[in-house]
Amino acid sequence: MRFPDKCIPVKYDYNSYGGELRKLYKKSSYIRQSDMEYFGYTGKVLDINLNSGTVKKKDLNQELTVKYLGGIGFNAEILYRELSPGTDPLGPDNILVFSTGPLVGSSIPTSCRTEASALSPATGLFGTSNSGNYWGGELKYAGYDSLIIRGKAEEPVYILINDGAVKIIPAHHLWGKDAWETIKIIQDEIDDINIQVAVIGQAGENLVRFASIENGPYDAWARTGLGAVMGSKNLKAVAVRGTGPVKVARPGDFAKTLEATRKAIFSSPFYAPFEKFGTMLITIPYHKFGILPGRNFQGGTPDNWMETRTRKQLHGLTKRGISCMSCPIACAHWVEVKEGRYAGLEMKDMEVTPVIGFGAGCDIQGLPAIAALSGECQRYGLDMVSASACVAFAMEMYQKGYVTENDLGFKLPWGDEDGTLKLLEMLALRKGIGNILAEGTRLASGKFPGTESFAIHIKGLEYILADPRGRWSTWTLGCITNIRGGDHLRTRNPVENLKHNENPLPYRTEKFGLDDYFYDHLDMPGDIKKAVFDNVTRDVNIPLMSKWSEDLISVYNALGMCIRPPVLHTVGPTLFSRMFSALTGIDITAEQIAKAGERIWNTIKLFNLKQGEKPEQSDYPDRFYSEGLKTPLGDKKLDRDAVSATLSEYYLARGWDPRTGVPSPQKLRELNIIT
Amino acid sequence: MTEEILIKPWLCTGCCTCSLVCSMISRGEFRPSLAHIRVTKKDFEGIFDITISSTCRGCTMCARSCPSGALKVIEIS
Repeated sequence: MRFPDKCIPVKYDYNSYGGELRKLYKKSSYIRQSDMEYFGYTGKVLDINLNSGTVKKKDLNQELTVKYLGGIGFNAEILYRELSPGTDPLGPDNILVFSTGPLVGSSIPTSCRTEASALSPATGLFGTSNSGNYWGGELKYAGYDSLIIRGKAEEPVYILINDGAVKIIPAHHLWGKDAWETIKIIQDEIDDINIQVAVIGQAGENLVRFASIENGPYDAWARTGLGAVMGSKNLKAVAVRGTGPVKVARPGDFAKTLEATRKAIFSSPFYAPFEKFGTMLITIPYHKFGILPGRNFQGGTPDNWMETRTRKQLHGLTKRGISCMSCPIACAHWVEVKEGRYAGLEMKDMEVTPVIGFGAGCDIQGLPAIAALSGECQRYGLDMVSASACVAFAMEMYQKGYVTENDLGFKLPWGDEDGTLKLLEMLALRKGIGNILAEGTRLASGKFPGTESFAIHIKGLEYILADPRGRWSTWTLGCITNIRGGDHLRTRNPVENLKHNENPLPYRTEKFGLDDYFYDHLDMPGDIKKAVFDNVTRDVNIPLMSKWSEDLISVYNALGMCIRPPVLHTVGPTLFSRMFSALTGIDITAEQIAKAGERIWNTIKLFNLKQGEKPEQSDYPDRFYSEGLKTPLGDKKLDRDAVSATLSEYYLARGWDPRTGVPSPQKLRELNIIT
Repeated sequence: MTEEILIKPWLCTGCCTCSLVCSMISRGEFRPSLAHIRVTKKDFEGIFDITISSTCRGCTMCARSCPSGALKVIEIS
């Protein structure tokens, strides 16, 4: 017998169903699910009222499956139906919903995403966030599609879902602890390293308006302050472990679709670079275009960027990727810092968000320092985007003399690591000036007259990604049309071009500039393709692509797949309809899938209007109109009239009122949305 | 010539495709808890333990579906 080098013997576990699982069985009654009639879905919704401590297991409304698909669709439907205008986001009447998609728990690549939603304390509008990891899969295996949390517990508690058994457990011993400590304690308490924990840190407990819900140690439902909603309910964590099945209706068809999906993703030209660099891929082109949010959007090309904070510096810092459940891409990296101030730091990180937020926004130089700061955010349970934007805002206030060393207790120049660390602690614990900044830049700027012009937020949610003055694209328009505020993850051109930065028609189109392969393999219905892409040059119509990609990403967030470029580019309504039909046994067409995405987006817009969203909120911060940005293509600032015209065109494409952005009655009838 | 599975756990990214595929093939449903191969995630150390149960029937589909190279099919003479 011959074994190659580095071969290790196969470990045999003769007690394969014993160990930690057996202990769990003893603690709870295991419900057999052989009577389940759903495929893909589990068919059950868990509804927990913390006021009374009651737990209800409801049947999933079958009508909703085709209409809203799952995930964000279910959340939108529940919140729009149940939350009345004027609800206090941090009061007991707010509802926090976690919903998985039907694909979650299957082996479809990247099908692991769960959407958490509630009325947002940051924006007062629809608060929603999507996260991967293993939590959603465990919830499905435990037997639930959605988890609804209402009311407010009298004392700190955490929820333990262990298959059919659901317990609400006092959490005095966890209150005040950070997210990582809490996860370790719960894993020890339950005696299961595989238990998945959604947890808040001190920021959520202290109702910081941009607190995140951490999904395991390194992932999060970060945006729109859902951690504060959880904190306001005195809920420290939701720990989930499931051993049940996700059933497949038509295994033969499903296997064929799975093969087609894997083939499409693996053969995407985006796949190899993404597997190597993850989201860090864009660090170099964004510097080349000069569109980084350097020093709170004061300059698009931070000094020393190429030497300190790009994908090139990943080499030596990371060796391998870490993936979410069923993901072949593994875009996040395991970071090991070997030398310098942060030597010994080991964690899953190095995504572009902290690099742009802290690296460009606060001018922190060096990836190890950025990794350390992102670790602090994860421990305190802070949304990295908003936290870094608040620190950048504070740094600009310090630069311009609105706050001084006396106010802060320390110096806060650009790029100061110690100051940033201290400020993050003050934010999470609401100490000193941190108590004001914890309200977010919109409310904090109200306390310092004169600072409103550089408080960078849209609809109350901080924004960091690309400077729209330097790059006008589907992505940047999407930041103002976004239903959750200043955010870059709900709109995205699936064939985004990182080589060019040109608008053949100003404000209206962006250059295509990619190989034919991308156009040919884009899963988009023919008639829409003809409308979105120019017949000759294939330049992309920005308003039309914004609408299409928002609906498409809504479908992704509803079915439970990830929007990383190799997937977003290759998987669209056609493949989705095949997957959905084979998995659930419910026949659905590509048109119905696309329509469901549009229905979800419109329902959320209606929710926002019901909660008081004003048309003027869909606009960029004043800085982008009044101050020029130096880019390689010259000094640039946005033209307010042109932005308005593009926005109107987008509203028209959606069938909304071109001036106010209110969905027309015809559109609502067409989508069969009950108002 | 027989086929065996070569395991390199240091390459595992923790996607659990192996246990998902295994449970689908052996039980006709996605149920990693009853798969013959199991991935235990040690979040804070960034490592994954791969365990194959004695009930494994050696179909090697787990290794054939592994995207990270942690599981490979080798031929042993």
